[in-house]
Amino acid sequence: MDEEYDVIVLGTGLKECILSGLLSVDGLKVLHMDRNDYYGGDSTSLNLNQLWKRFRGEDKPPAHLGSSKDYNVDMVPKFMMANGTLVRTLIHTDVTKYLSFKAVDGSYVFSKGKIHKVPATDMEALKSPLMGLFEKRRARNFFIYVQDYNEADPKTHQGLDLTTMTTRELIAKYGLSDDTVDFIGHALALHRDDRYLNEPAIDTVKRMKLYAESLARFQGGSPYIYPLYGLGELPQGFARLSAVYGGTYMLNKPDCKVEFDMEGKVCGVTSEGETAKCKKVVCDPSYLPNKVRKIGKVARAIAIMSHPIASTNDSHSVQIILPQKQLGRKSDMYVFCCSYTHNVAPKGKFIAFVSTEAETDNPQSELKPGIDLLGQVDELFFDIYDRYEPVNEPSLDNCFVSTSYDATTHFETTVTDVLNMYTLITGKAVDLSVDLSAASAAEEY
Amino acid sequence: MASRRRTLLKVIILGDSGVGKTSLMNQYVNKKFSNQYKATIGADFLTKEVQFEDRLFTLQIWDTAGQERFQSLGVAFYRGADCCVLVYDVNSMKSFDNLNNWREEFLIQASPSDPDNFPFVLLGNKVDVDGGNSRVVSEKKAKAWCASKGNIPYFETSAKDGTNVEEAFQCIVKNALKNEPEEELYVPDTVDVVGGNRAQRSSGCC
Repeated sequence: MDEEYDVIVLGTGLKECILSGLLSVDGLKVLHMDRNDYYGGDSTSLNLNQLWKRFRGEDKPPAHLGSSKDYNVDMVPKFMMANGTLVRTLIHTDVTKYLSFKAVDGSYVFSKGKIHKVPATDMEALKSPLMGLFEKRRARNFFIYVQDYNEADPKTHQGLDLTTMTTRELIAKYGLSDDTVDFIGHALALHRDDRYLNEPAIDTVKRMKLYAESLARFQGGSPYIYPLYGLGELPQGFARLSAVYGGTYMLNKPDCKVEFDMEGKVCGVTSEGETAKCKKVVCDPSYLPNKVRKIGKVARAIAIMSHPIASTNDSHSVQIILPQKQLGRKSDMYVFCCSYTHNVAPKGKFIAFVSTEAETDNPQSELKPGIDLLGQVDELFFDIYDRYEPVNEPSLDNCFVSTSYDATTHFETTVTDVLNMYTLITGKAVDLSVDLSAASAAEEY
Repeated sequence: MASRRRTLLKVIILGDSGVGKTSLMNQYVNKKFSNQYKATIGADFLTKEVQFEDRLFTLQIWDTAGQERFQSLGVAFYRGADCCVLVYDVNSMKSFDNLNNWREEFLIQASPSDPDNFPFVLLGNKVDVDGGNSRVVSEKKAKAWCASKGNIPYFETSAKDGTNVEEAFQCIVKNALKNEPEEELYVPDTVDVVGGNRAQRSSGCC
């Protein structure tokens, strides 16, 4: 420390590490600090000892659970859309070379008290009990429309302006039933509530296209991929990118205090009696609590199990969507499960998560419908936390605060926040469009 | 069951900032040396095809990328290492004294299944400096340290003029091969996110 940097980044969450990597590649002098002695911040993956320490005080985990280092338990469980913006960012930065991924076995949806596989092929769609026969024909027409839709090509719009037409209006045109609408909106477009029905249909159509493209990308049983050793690998990969391009890393830095000048602009960060000067600070909400406001609460259960989730065809990795209407609440609930096949648990063990936006004063009991799907669990933990968003004006104080991770099923909102922050910090936009074409070209040869 | 034919060996290089870790791997892989010192910028991991007893291996040598300077290497860096190379500067007693810390840090972070027999190799670098006149760590002292850690191999090197670099890495490869892979590391069905480009790229020193 006691040096001058262009940017000081506080907290090694995934958002902060992506930004640290991008800024270092741009040639900025970056100092990246974290109060913890591990990478990942709120989005880390914990080993068993860390998990026990965090949720059970100082207890030692029971020996029958196996070796601590075999566990990599995600604190923000999400899957990656195979064609989504996080994959594009990984390819753009070449951080893929530090990581390995596996396709997620399946995606399921909870409907009328049972779970059903979200069809991944035409054959599965034909057999699926989620829709009746005539409804399938109407839905197929809708899917063809969505598949052919190209924002830049008006001929594909068939006279419909999706930027003004609501999703409800578009769906009414195809005569789809309420159950089908629910399925499309929540299991394919991955909306968490029903506000999308009254919003322009373009967003839902784009989401459905992303789902289909991700499904086709690796032709697995779902549109998702997931890194070996858990999501904690992602911040470490981007941190290494930053370091390779000159970023300086300091873990285990307590009490990082952001310093401001007379005009209220950030001028440095002090830790352990030393101050590093800087022009800008990037951080997660916990480092600048006075510049954020609470915007919600996430409720999550974390389970260690010795079996796959019932009715998922013995899947080792699976997502189950419980649409809000099925549960009688405002937001969807999600169940994630991954296992020893992803090197996140010892042989024979599974890690499952139930997540949703909290809606009552008793968030733990809200999770019951998801927990009931898990069956017998060896250990259960609850993690209830507030979410924050920045309220400061970065052009005035040069502080760029990320928004907390939400309960969404994937990383699209995470990357959107990162890209927006990057543009605010640098005045430039990251172009992620070229890379997949290049990757596809490589694929063909 | 049929034995797996392993083709990738991961080797990590640990030691204090400035002892010459990056220069050593550049000398071995690229036969290059740069006098310009900057706490490592641009070094990542380098790969080299090596032949050992009629078998071809891809040796993947991981530099710390400068993250060791403030003790900020992540657990992912250590995972799956087949051999750990410890480097000190023969002209710096502090870098020699810190070897214990580096070895302990490796054993904690990597958690090998057989810590007493995990293959380490020690390199005493910069033997060329000032014709050897500024040397402060004797060969005898270093060899005693190696003996106390289970007789790990020791080489005195110069990344600058190439002294013993080839010999050291031959030994490193041999020792990496002695490390039996843990069963969990065998992963048959990962997806290739980048597409058809399967060769892993490495970057050199800028």
